[in-house]
Amino acid sequence: MEFLLQQLVNGITLGGVYALVALGYTMVYGIIQLINFAHGEIYAAGGYMGVILISWLFSQGFPPAVCLGAALVLAMGYCAMLAMAVEKVAYKPLRQSSRLSVLLSALGMSIFLQNGLMLTQGVYDRAYPTEMVQGGFEFGGAVVSWMQVIIVGVTVLLLVALNLLVFKTRIGKAMRATAQDKTMSALVGINSNRIISLTFAIGAGLAAAAGIMVGLYYGSVRYDMGFVPGVKAFSAAVLGGIGNITGAMLGGLIIGMIEVLAAGYISSEYKDVFAFVILIAVLYFMPTGIMGENVDDTRV
Amino acid sequence: MKRALYLISMLLLASFVAVGCGGEKKEDKKAEAPKAGLKIGSLGPLTGQYAADGNDIKNGVLAAIEVMNPEMGALGPVTLQAEDDACDPRQAVAAANKLINEKVTAVIGAYCSSATIPASEPLIAAKIFMITPASTNEKVTERGMPYMYRTCGRDDDQSKAAVKFMAEQLKAKAIYIVDDKTTYSQGLADNVEKLAPGANLKVLGHEHVNQGDKDYSAVLTKVKAAKPDVFYVSLQNSASAAPMLIQIARMGIKTKILAQDAVYHPQLMELAKKDAEGVFLTFGYTDKETPAYKKFAEAYKKFGEPGAYSAYSYDSTVAYLKAVKAAGSTDPEKVKAELAKLEFDGASKKIKYKENGDSGSNYVIQVVKDGKFTNYWNPETGELFK
Repeated sequence: MEFLLQQLVNGITLGGVYALVALGYTMVYGIIQLINFAHGEIYAAGGYMGVILISWLFSQGFPPAVCLGAALVLAMGYCAMLAMAVEKVAYKPLRQSSRLSVLLSALGMSIFLQNGLMLTQGVYDRAYPTEMVQGGFEFGGAVVSWMQVIIVGVTVLLLVALNLLVFKTRIGKAMRATAQDKTMSALVGINSNRIISLTFAIGAGLAAAAGIMVGLYYGSVRYDMGFVPGVKAFSAAVLGGIGNITGAMLGGLIIGMIEVLAAGYISSEYKDVFAFVILIAVLYFMPTGIMGENVDDTRV
Repeated sequence: MKRALYLISMLLLASFVAVGCGGEKKEDKKAEAPKAGLKIGSLGPLTGQYAADGNDIKNGVLAAIEVMNPEMGALGPVTLQAEDDACDPRQAVAAANKLINEKVTAVIGAYCSSATIPASEPLIAAKIFMITPASTNEKVTERGMPYMYRTCGRDDDQSKAAVKFMAEQLKAKAIYIVDDKTTYSQGLADNVEKLAPGANLKVLGHEHVNQGDKDYSAVLTKVKAAKPDVFYVSLQNSASAAPMLIQIARMGIKTKILAQDAVYHPQLMELAKKDAEGVFLTFGYTDKETPAYKKFAEAYKKFGEPGAYSAYSYDSTVAYLKAVKAAGSTDPEKVKAELAKLEFDGASKKIKYKENGDSGSNYVIQVVKDGKFTNYWNPETGELFK
């Protein structure tokens, strides 16, 4: 029982991170039907921005909460700009071309950004000041670290904020309209280019937050850290129903949980296999994912 | 306005690689300048998750070339062709073939045993020397390959030292083993598992994780429940081990930890910080006070802190160049005869290659103390270092 509880705690933490990254995939897919392969690299860039900012702020003697808060805001802002730049340079000129060209452009961008990170930041892992947040508490025999509490807390906060933005504001309404029909929404006066840019920016901001929290949780970042979580987050988005925001959140949580439970009860070496087996099984019976990709109300 | 936005976007992306390009050019110039002379290759992961270790090897070779160049006379100058194997068997073979085309006479590398073994096939067939500074799997030198040498120790010796330490010094009764499924890390872990019963050690579990994993919470939850006396950790490098140490501390596991030579890297303390304190590891004994080590440390200074295999890579290069110098040519047979006779005080240890290419193991137990790897216990004598 203790074991199960511990694995559930770990699973929620991991799932939250996947959910944050998955949202970027799903939102971009929802609005321009593009699988943004460079998204994992944006997440890595966020992790690096975080290590640079947090290390500096922490060495200046700022309290941990200020370091984390400032780093989150600045890194999210930076990554949002970076993602908009990527969209402007690599995707926008190809908007009228076939979907395959944009896909290749996205792959190229992913390689470009990853190598850029390697060249500017080096091949060595960069250490986060993990001493910033330490300790934890026992809960029914399971150890819950404060870092896990922070990850879950920030994730929930961001998810709630995103939901409010998408479903309660005018911008959100414009995003949903653009997702449904670009031409029609442009006719009623929505600047679809700006909305697309904004979608990229929001997705990137969430990924940057995930990058920082993963860096703090595992203690280090590396230039190629974006690849595997990128693939898993993409699977999470597909599992939940690509294009569907609620689906991405749910998908992330499910992939995280399966991974941790499979590792705990079956074997660590097969944890990725199980995550993907479940994905295949779900897609076999529900080709549009758990929440379905065409629920227009919730699609962005 | 639109133009301006586009320009800003381009600048933002360009800033991403600008710094890196500047750094890269300098290196190219260095490698291209001299044309004639002796060309040797290095093989190791320069990209991918083990890039740090591959660069340590490359830098060790560069340091040795710098030290040896003035002595090479008419045979010199020595230049390096560094190839990337990404620790991948297929890419290692491709890189080996490229080095054959580049007409190198010796290759220092590779890092991962799983890359060294396949890469050695075409190299040895082309009569090119391969001296590995880092691949400790037994099979590397057990295949009767005439030009295959190894400057580091062997895993069968390493696992013996590890088991002896756990049984005799830590007085352990039960251990838990984890590895990350590479030829090297799993080979070592399997050896330990095999030897454990002979030393009255009960193996409570042997788990495998994936290469490059950062989340070990599932395995660690199992370890915590099993309550072993010693947790034996066999991972491919320090960057994989650091998150594990952090998570061990976070989960409140108080078990003693024994790791192996691959985690020997200053990076371990940088990443895991105080969570690395008290971790034991098996590592080849190196006396850092010898003149040979000091000479190496001086030459290596500009590359930063030496990694686990920097000194071995340096010694491998020096050994080959000394043999070439003694032979007066790069003729494989003559150099091989000289290598057999060669004996010198290297930076890492006394270098003397045996018939099969091995240079002997001298594993001791080290411990991380005050952020430094410190010699702790000698399995030969069964005594603590002073």
